[in-house]
Amino acid sequence: MPSAHTKSPRAASRTPLIEVTKLSKVYVNDAVETPVLFDIDLRVQSGEFMAIMGPSGSGKSTLMHILGFLDRPTHGKYRFLGKDTAGRTDDELAIIRATKVSFVFQAFHLLPRATVLENVMLPLLYHPTIPSAERQHRAQAAINAVGLFERTNFLTSQLSGGQKQRTAIARSLVTEPQVIFADEPTGNLDSVSGIQVMGALEKLHASGHTIILVTHERSTAEFADRIVHILDGRIASDSRSHSRRSSSGLTSLK
Amino acid sequence: MNTKDIIQSATKSISSNAKRTSLTILGIVIGVASVVLMISTGKSFQGYILDQINSFGSNTMDVIPKGFEKFGGNLESLTIEDYERIKRLSSVERVVPVIIVNRSVHYGREDMTPMVFGATSDIFGNYGMKLASGRLLDESDERGAQRSVVAAYQTALDLFGNRDPIGQRIVIGEESFTVVGTLKSAGSLLLSDLDKPVFIPFATARSMTGQRHVSYITLKTVGDSDIAKRDITELLRTRHRIDNSQDDPDLDDFIARSAEQVTSIISSVTLGLTVFLALIAGISLLVGGIGIMNIMLVTVSERTQEIGLRKALGARPRDILIQFLTEALALTCGGALVGLVLGAGTGWILSRIADRILGEFHFILSPFALVAAICMAVGTGLLFGVYPASKAARLDPIEALRYE
Ligand SMILES: Nc1ncnc2c1ncn2[C@@H]1O[C@H](COP(=O)(O)OP(=O)(O)O)[C@@H](O)[C@H]1O
Ligand SMILES: [Mg+2]
Repeated sequence: MPSAHTKSPRAASRTPLIEVTKLSKVYVNDAVETPVLFDIDLRVQSGEFMAIMGPSGSGKSTLMHILGFLDRPTHGKYRFLGKDTAGRTDDELAIIRATKVSFVFQAFHLLPRATVLENVMLPLLYHPTIPSAERQHRAQAAINAVGLFERTNFLTSQLSGGQKQRTAIARSLVTEPQVIFADEPTGNLDSVSGIQVMGALEKLHASGHTIILVTHERSTAEFADRIVHILDGRIASDSRSHSRRSSSGLTSLK
Repeated sequence: MNTKDIIQSATKSISSNAKRTSLTILGIVIGVASVVLMISTGKSFQGYILDQINSFGSNTMDVIPKGFEKFGGNLESLTIEDYERIKRLSSVERVVPVIIVNRSVHYGREDMTPMVFGATSDIFGNYGMKLASGRLLDESDERGAQRSVVAAYQTALDLFGNRDPIGQRIVIGEESFTVVGTLKSAGSLLLSDLDKPVFIPFATARSMTGQRHVSYITLKTVGDSDIAKRDITELLRTRHRIDNSQDDPDLDDFIARSAEQVTSIISSVTLGLTVFLALIAGISLLVGGIGIMNIMLVTVSERTQEIGLRKALGARPRDILIQFLTEALALTCGGALVGLVLGAGTGWILSRIADRILGEFHFILSPFALVAAICMAVGTGLLFGVYPASKAARLDPIEALRYE
């Protein structure tokens, strides 16, 4: 895909999409302090496909929630598109979530009594600039992009797990965000559906999207170009993936 | 989220749980129905009473002696001379002196004690009484102090049954009278007293009793009834030598009372009663509101994950607040509409029953009741929706997403 090459070098040349320095997170519940992340330094450029990998409880989701503006760091600096994000109000964070970032969750989080189309249109309700007349058209394009055209008007409760997660991916696409966060997107799926879902993310990356994947499985992390290892809340290693996997060979195997 | 999105999402979530929704709004339905019922029944009843009074003619005024209960009171304070002088005032017309003759009435073996009114012929017009058969009393009856009598509807029926009353002879006290006419029924329970008396000429009553005072005087005012009242009051104070520079009605030995005054007293009493009943009914609306709050709290906790998701997708706290407030409002307004129809329908049925019993009872659905019901419903929705909705709006997105 040519777009991957035209889009990323310009962004990569100067301002990183995400730039985190000395970031730490301490949860405080009823005066009990749980430190979870320590001195995280991380830069992500637009167009990257990065995996955050580590054992369960190592702090991957916590980091992703902070990077995705669902949570705030306790200490340290987080610059997004070159701008410091400290001191943003809840409303400002909500607008960033509506326009700049999106999520794919392990548990799908689809509205069960709504159709695929309605679910994919949902983020557009909160988008400040996309006109309501364009919603359906954009949602349909996103659904087509994940290969669910024929399921457009199905209730999400009528879909298989893989189809549900692809609906969630379409939903994460529809606002054309700067970065898509996927937290264990294959965690609730069998291996074939998992590979299909990873294939969909791979395709998005190829068309220029920035993807940050959170997983505890090496086999899933290997779909990414870059793997950041987290152990006990610290970055243990940060490396380019040597043996990058692709869904195309794997799906034809079965 | 624009208004259309908000309303669509509210109606969708409400209709997805129809059975629970209908049980939830029952409290609001009953509350609004009873408010509407109370206000409209109160208004209808007030209208009924005022209609009755106005059917007498709105510009009727009675001048009555002050009773013995007031110090210096004297039931004989109004004289025939007072009547003659009041008659000459320009602010009044059709002045009728009335002597109530305290004698029993016999017809054959029937022995009755209806009120016997000795009055000049204008009394029928002043009280809006209509002739059923024969003729009314007239000037010649008065001039000759004739032994003529006109019987009101109920008494004519009681005395004569289905015989023709005209030309029958009845005995009042010791004297024999000829029935010259009968009256139509006044047509309602409230005025049923008007169906009972018999009427004889004033001159006849005067000669029978030999009295020089009148029981009371009834008249029609010309123009402003306040002016008539002032003229009469001044005249009688002078004639009765009452020094009343403070204009204190307690010092007078008479009362001049217009129908308007009675009307306004009745209006304010029934209004007070209506408001009181509506407030009690309003309490049931509050109870309904607590039901709404309860169900909204359940909804918020059931949909915690959805709220987390919406926040992750970019919903601001206020978007969530508005969404759940709208749902609460949609519930209460839906309940209010049903309650409105139910309350108005019940009120209408009751008014039909009242019409059978009381006669001439009209159903009034006051716009005030409609507005009050809608406002109360919106108020209840907001009052009891705000807490659950703001609870939803404040949820932490991550905790909400994780909530099981
Ligand atoms: N809200 C919270 N309050 C306290 N501790 C938390 C909270 N959320 C997560 N944790 C703790 O932080 C650690 C990291 O959690 P998480 O980021 O979910 O790990 P991962 O996604 O790598 O499995 C865990 O030990 C977890 O128990
Ligand atoms: Mg996790």
